[in-house]
Amino acid sequence: MAASMELSCWGGDWGLPSLHPESLTVMAYAKFSGAPLTVNTISNSWRAPKGDVPVLISEDIVISQPAKILNFLRKQKYNADYELSAKQGADTLAYIALLEEKLLPALASIEKHLIMLHTFWVEAENYCSVTKPWFASRIAFPLRLYLPGKMSREALNRILLTRGGPPLCSLTEVEAQIYRDAKECLNLLSKRLGTSQFFFGHTPTTLDAFVFGFLAPVYKVCFPRVQLQEHLKQLPNLCRFCDDILTCYFRLTVSGHSPAGQDTADANLQKLTQLVNKESNLIEKMDDNLRKSPQHPPRKLTTLKLAAGGEENSPSHRLSP
Amino acid sequence: TLCFQAFLQMCNLPIQVVCRANAEYMSPSGKVPFIHVGNQVVSELGPIVQFVKAKGHSLSDGLDEVQKAEMKAYMELVNNMLLTAELYLQWCDDVTVEEITHPRYGSPYPWPLNRILSYQKQWEVRRKMKAIGWAGKTLEQVLEDVDQCCQALSQRLGTQPYFFNKQPTELDALVFGHLFTILTTQLTTDELSEKVKNYSNLTAFCRRIEQQYFEGHDKDNCATATARSAKKSLLR
Repeated sequence: MAASMELSCWGGDWGLPSLHPESLTVMAYAKFSGAPLTVNTISNSWRAPKGDVPVLISEDIVISQPAKILNFLRKQKYNADYELSAKQGADTLAYIALLEEKLLPALASIEKHLIMLHTFWVEAENYCSVTKPWFASRIAFPLRLYLPGKMSREALNRILLTRGGPPLCSLTEVEAQIYRDAKECLNLLSKRLGTSQFFFGHTPTTLDAFVFGFLAPVYKVCFPRVQLQEHLKQLPNLCRFCDDILTCYFRLTVSGHSPAGQDTADANLQKLTQLVNKESNLIEKMDDNLRKSPQHPPRKLTTLKLAAGGEENSPSHRLSP
Repeated sequence: TLCFQAFLQMCNLPIQVVCRANAEYMSPSGKVPFIHVGNQVVSELGPIVQFVKAKGHSLSDGLDEVQKAEMKAYMELVNNMLLTAELYLQWCDDVTVEEITHPRYGSPYPWPLNRILSYQKQWEVRRKMKAIGWAGKTLEQVLEDVDQCCQALSQRLGTQPYFFNKQPTELDALVFGHLFTILTTQLTTDELSEKVKNYSNLTAFCRRIEQQYFEGHDKDNCATATARSAKKSLLR
């Protein structure tokens, strides 16, 4: 029974073990139920079978999709819902349906920003090193540009087909409705959670794993300006819920660095967020035209450095981690 | 359709049901059924509930915030599982499509319009199924999902008369509509209705609502007239 189990999922940042809601759900469930998983974070999705993430591999069995993975873990006796009553089990199913219908579309529509931002962050750390070309990153080129496009195209497709009928005809109207639904969903979750530690008392269950998986990225990622995140931050019990799980089960402090390094991390975060704000247009252009890259900051910095001669180089200092 | 009738009847609002072939095109959202009140036309359960609420009728006023959250969650579950399963069966199961759906959907129209419209609808539904990941499901998997949903509903209902004990709410109307349809619509196979019949408290629930809200309205009711020809009453 103690067959080794390996989970492949998207990597994390900003203090999260993963940025991908479904991967986070599975990781959280594994922690709650004590399932011993070896976690493989990948940023190169073509190594995962079928390109689906998260994927659990145990001996010869390959399982994808969170619901199926959780079922498998339960059959292996790693059951976080052991103490739930039948009614609570039914409630779990209902709330998960609510999450998938009302919150997931909003996550999908900011997914593109999420991935762009993540890869940008990764690149920013490499700015100082002139020898690293722009495209040497965790995700192999050209998959890196193809994959965000592909994922968000699928997400967009899903949204348009399930929500985009009349009377909502334009994408902005559909997006507006999606955000309204997502905010309502957050409000409902907040009411349901109340002052409890977890959704069904003192021990976390499947529902907690799903809610955490969906909320944590919205909560933690440093988007330049996303209404859903602002709305979430106005619901302190949900924020507390995410932080509790991160500190108790993932042993990470709020920023993912050791407490001492937190201030420096915050300062860097701010600088990088400002940079992201300025450069966000450039990212959009990159999607269609790869050739814009030579004009990008790394080259500019080098030129500045040479031109400035012996002077102190504030731009490059600004960017150094 | 039954969800709406049930809901409106629970609110004690008298309605007249009219069957129209072009109903889908008359509806503001392209979906049937819809209600026509004075100058206003409202479709889909959510907006209809809100419309009725604005006129001073609501079934869920007696619920507290947590119960309202629960009610909405269960309504999503029903929409997610039961509605999608019904659509799947009607439009993605080849046998059912050929023998039942195409003839029924195209029946008001002459050939070849009947086939064209019905294929168009099928294409639309299949495209949507693909987008939500149901296209790859087999009939067995769909039936399993239905079973899981019914189990959840059965557990939530328990021995109460309605989902939130003594008074019916929108959730009761929605569940009744779907379950009654599943139990009484004749399909090529009985497997779907068998899944629901496994849960005796659910069939009792449907029977109770049918008796309380639909008996005595039969003569004026176009929907039940259609029901009599294609479906069977639960009480027989």
